[in-house]
Amino acid sequence: MSLGVFVFPPIDELFRWKDIAFKGQFYAINKTSLLVMISSVLILAIFVGGSRRMKLVPKGFQNVLEMTYEFVDRGITRDVIGNDATRFTPFLGSLFLFILFLNFWEVIPFIQFPPTSRFAIPLFLALMVYVLYWFLGFKHQGIKYLTGHLFPAGVPLALYILVTPIELVQILLVRPFSLAVRLLANMMAGHILLTALALLTAYTLKNAPIIALGPFALNIGVTAFEILVGFLQAYIFTLLTAVYIADSLHAEH
Amino acid sequence: MHLAVLLAAESVKAKNPIVPETKEIIWAVVSFVIVFGLLAWKAWPAIKKAIADREAHIRTDLERAESAKDEAESSLVEYQRQLAEARNEAGKIIEEARLAADQVRKDLIARAEADATELRGRAQDDIRLATERALADLQSRVAELSIELAEKVVERNLDHDTQIALIESYINQVGSR
Repeated sequence: MSLGVFVFPPIDELFRWKDIAFKGQFYAINKTSLLVMISSVLILAIFVGGSRRMKLVPKGFQNVLEMTYEFVDRGITRDVIGNDATRFTPFLGSLFLFILFLNFWEVIPFIQFPPTSRFAIPLFLALMVYVLYWFLGFKHQGIKYLTGHLFPAGVPLALYILVTPIELVQILLVRPFSLAVRLLANMMAGHILLTALALLTAYTLKNAPIIALGPFALNIGVTAFEILVGFLQAYIFTLLTAVYIADSLHAEH
Repeated sequence: MHLAVLLAAESVKAKNPIVPETKEIIWAVVSFVIVFGLLAWKAWPAIKKAIADREAHIRTDLERAESAKDEAESSLVEYQRQLAEARNEAGKIIEEARLAADQVRKDLIARAEADATELRGRAQDDIRLATERALADLQSRVAELSIELAEKVVERNLDHDTQIALIESYINQVGSR
């Protein structure tokens, strides 16, 4: 008995989308860009709309807004950078929400695609953070920001041969690259995994219904896991951004 | 069971899916700038203010409650002090009143006794005086009568019976006084 052939679509098909508007233009809109825009509208609707009438005694929705703010302000800004750094909360909060909303499209039925699995988005965000922490580093510490990293105090002179190039590569390349790739790889992997499980469920349902429950249950479990991953990656990205900013503001600890 | 899983990136005509696309970067930049701008302008300050307002409100409430408690405690101490003072004062007043009443009682008794003694003395004096006066009256009366009797005796030169009758009438006269 032939069960047919299970064909997994080319990776390209999972991530590259046709232009929806302005076809062929350099500013063409595809599914990725559309989801980015919808996310932005949702974030603004929820947070700008929701914060219009804040009450002294918070109820329901206001709690969500305040919890989000405090999560970023206390959990990230104050914890990592310091109590005097609340001016960074708006940026870190916006970054967190932006990534979080984009990540969650991965598990939204019928959409099921995280725009953060397209390198364009993590790359842009990582580059923005990269520019920001270099700017802040030189603004607050001058050239010491660079020399402090390249020639850390307390290291035997001979070891600078080893330490300095490593630190240089670290601060110039590894930081932004790891920041971008961590988010990209996680979201890509999640998307591929969920697609594979969904296709496998469909395939087994058609050809061997008895075992279809296996991939189906796994699909549900991984979906729940991906919600966690989506949140965690947004958190990690924001947290590392805060760590880099802290490093720029204060000399090496 | 033959299950062929083809994980193939076959016929990748276009670019590698990892390579970032300019059009996606453009919209990501535009979107993030708008999101950050509007959140930083409208949402975050409003939320921050709401939290700060509530914190301030709770802080003032707590401080007010704290000071009210302190005030109440000091008032209580003050009241207790005043109460103790008042009790002390009341006790003193009662004691004084008791002493005063005692004194008054003693005074009254003493005065009553004095009055009684005085009254008794005065009564005795009165009695003595009255007796003396009566005796004096009697003496003068007896003298007058004796004189009268003598006059009558002299005047009439009386016989024995007359004399007796005279004396008897005299005695009767005196006795009826």
